[in-house]
Amino acid sequence: MLNRILDNTRIFFEGAYYSYRALFRWLNPATYLASKVFAPLTMMIFFVYIGAYASGSNSASYYVIGNSLIFAASSGIFGVTMSVGGERWTGTLPYLFGSPANRGAMFVGRAVMHILDGMLGVFIGLGWGMLLFGLDLSRSDPLALIVTILITTFSTSGLGLLMGCLSLITRNVMLVNNTVYFALLVFSGANIPVEQLPGWMQVIANGLPLTRGVACTRMIVAGSSLTEIMPLLREEMLIGIILTILGYSLFKVFEFQAKKLGTLDIF
Amino acid sequence: MERIRKNLRIMLLAFEIEMRQNLTDGFVVFGILIQPLIVAFMALWMLKGKGPDYAIFVVVGSGMTGLWTTLLFNGGNSITGERWNGTLEPLVASPASLRIVVFGKVLANVAQSLGSMIGSYLLISLILGYPLTLERPVLFVISLFFTVAALVSFGLILASFFILIPDFARMVNTLEFPIYILCGFLFPIALLPGWTTPISYLLSPYWAAQALHGAAQGSLTTVQIMGDWALMLAFSLAYILASGRLYRVILRKARADATLDIMGN
Repeated sequence: MLNRILDNTRIFFEGAYYSYRALFRWLNPATYLASKVFAPLTMMIFFVYIGAYASGSNSASYYVIGNSLIFAASSGIFGVTMSVGGERWTGTLPYLFGSPANRGAMFVGRAVMHILDGMLGVFIGLGWGMLLFGLDLSRSDPLALIVTILITTFSTSGLGLLMGCLSLITRNVMLVNNTVYFALLVFSGANIPVEQLPGWMQVIANGLPLTRGVACTRMIVAGSSLTEIMPLLREEMLIGIILTILGYSLFKVFEFQAKKLGTLDIF
Repeated sequence: MERIRKNLRIMLLAFEIEMRQNLTDGFVVFGILIQPLIVAFMALWMLKGKGPDYAIFVVVGSGMTGLWTTLLFNGGNSITGERWNGTLEPLVASPASLRIVVFGKVLANVAQSLGSMIGSYLLISLILGYPLTLERPVLFVISLFFTVAALVSFGLILASFFILIPDFARMVNTLEFPIYILCGFLFPIALLPGWTTPISYLLSPYWAAQALHGAAQGSLTTVQIMGDWALMLAFSLAYILASGRLYRVILRKARADATLDIMGN
C-alpha cells in the first residue's frame, strides 16, 4: 500500500516536471520571457489603454487586475492543454496509455508546474501594474491575494485539463485553445464588468473559472479580507474541481475508445 | 519581359498554394475571424459612449487587428511550415526568387485577412444591430488597396527574420499587441507616452489605420488621407527595395550558418 502511494507520488511529480520541461523549452530564458512576461504585458497595456480611452486614465487599476489574472489562464489553458495534447503530437501517447502508471497521478500531475508558473505570471502582471500604471496594493491582504491567485490558477488549470483531453481528439488544438482563452477575456469580467453583459452571457460567465478570481482580486485590492471573499473563493475552487474531474473522466473515456478503435496515432 | 512573366507566375502559384493550405488550417479561422470578432465585441462594449461613430471605429480597428495577426502568425508560420516540412532548403535552392515566393504567400495571407473587417462589419451591423456608415466609401476602398500593399511589403521584411532565425516563431507573440498599440488601431496614439510617437510614424500599419479610420469616420480631409497614401506608398517601396538586399544577405548567412533546416533550440 505504502509502495503504491510512493510510486503514485513519484509519477505525479516526475510527470509534472518532465511534461513542463519537455513542452516549452522554457529553460531558454529568451523564449520564457517572450511567452510569459512580455506577450501578456503587451496585451495588458493594450486593454488598459482602450480602457483609458473609454473612461479616463483613472480606470487603469481595473484593467490591470483583470488582465493580470489572465496570466493565470495563459498558463492554465495553453500550458496544461499542450502538456496533455503534446503526448499525442510527439507520438508518446501509446506508451503513456500502455504503461501501468496511475492515470489520476499522471493526468493531474500535468497541471502542477503550470499552476506554480501561472501564479508567478499573475504576480509579474501585478508587478507591471504597480510599476507602469500605479496599481495600489497597500490595502491588500497578502495572504488573501496569494490564496486567491492559487485557487484561480488551479481552476483555470482544470479548464486546461479538460481542453487537453479535447486536444487528444482534434487536430485544431490551437484554434480551440485560443478561442477559449479569448472567450475568457470577454466572459471573466477582466475587461467588461460581468453585470453589464447580457443575461445569457452572465450565466456562462458565472459557470466559468476565473470570473470569481477576478472579482475577488478586485475586492482584495479594494481592502476586503479573506473572510469576505471566502464564499466566492469556495465557488471558484468547486469549479476547478468539477473541471478536473470532468477532464479526468474524459481522459479515461478517450483512452478506452482509442485503445478499442486503434486511433491513438490517428490525426 | 519574360522575367516579369515568370516571376508573376511564381507569385500567383505561391499565392494559390498558400490560400489552399490556409483553408485546411483551423488557426487561420481564429486569426481572421474569431479573434477580431472577440476584440470587436470587447472594444464595442468598452468604447460605448465615445460618440456616434465609435462603432465604425471599432469595425476598422478590430479589422486591422485581424490583418496584423494574420500577417504576423500565418505569414511567418508559412516559412516555419516550410522549415518543419523540410521544404525550406529546396525552396531556397530553386532558381525561383525566394522573395517572389514569400511575396505571393504574404499577399495570400493579407488578402484572406480582409475577411476580418468584413466579419467585424457583419457582427456589429447585422448581429448587434449598430447602424454603420462609411463616410467616404471611395477613399476607404482606395485606402484598403494601399493598406494591402503596405502590409504585404512589411510582411516581406518580417518573413526574412523567420528565414534567418529558427527560433523567431516563438518570439512573435511579443509582436502582436505592440503593433495594435503603436499603430492606434483601437485608441489614438496621443494617449501613449510621447517617446513612442516616432516609432509609430515608422510603421506603415499606423498610416494604414489612420487612413482607414479617417475615411470611415470622415474625420480626415481628402488631402490628409492622400498624405497617408503617399506615406504608405513610400514605406512600401522602401520595404520592397530594402528586402532585395536583405534577402541576399539573409540567404547568404543562412547558407553559411547552415540554419535552414534547424527547428530552433
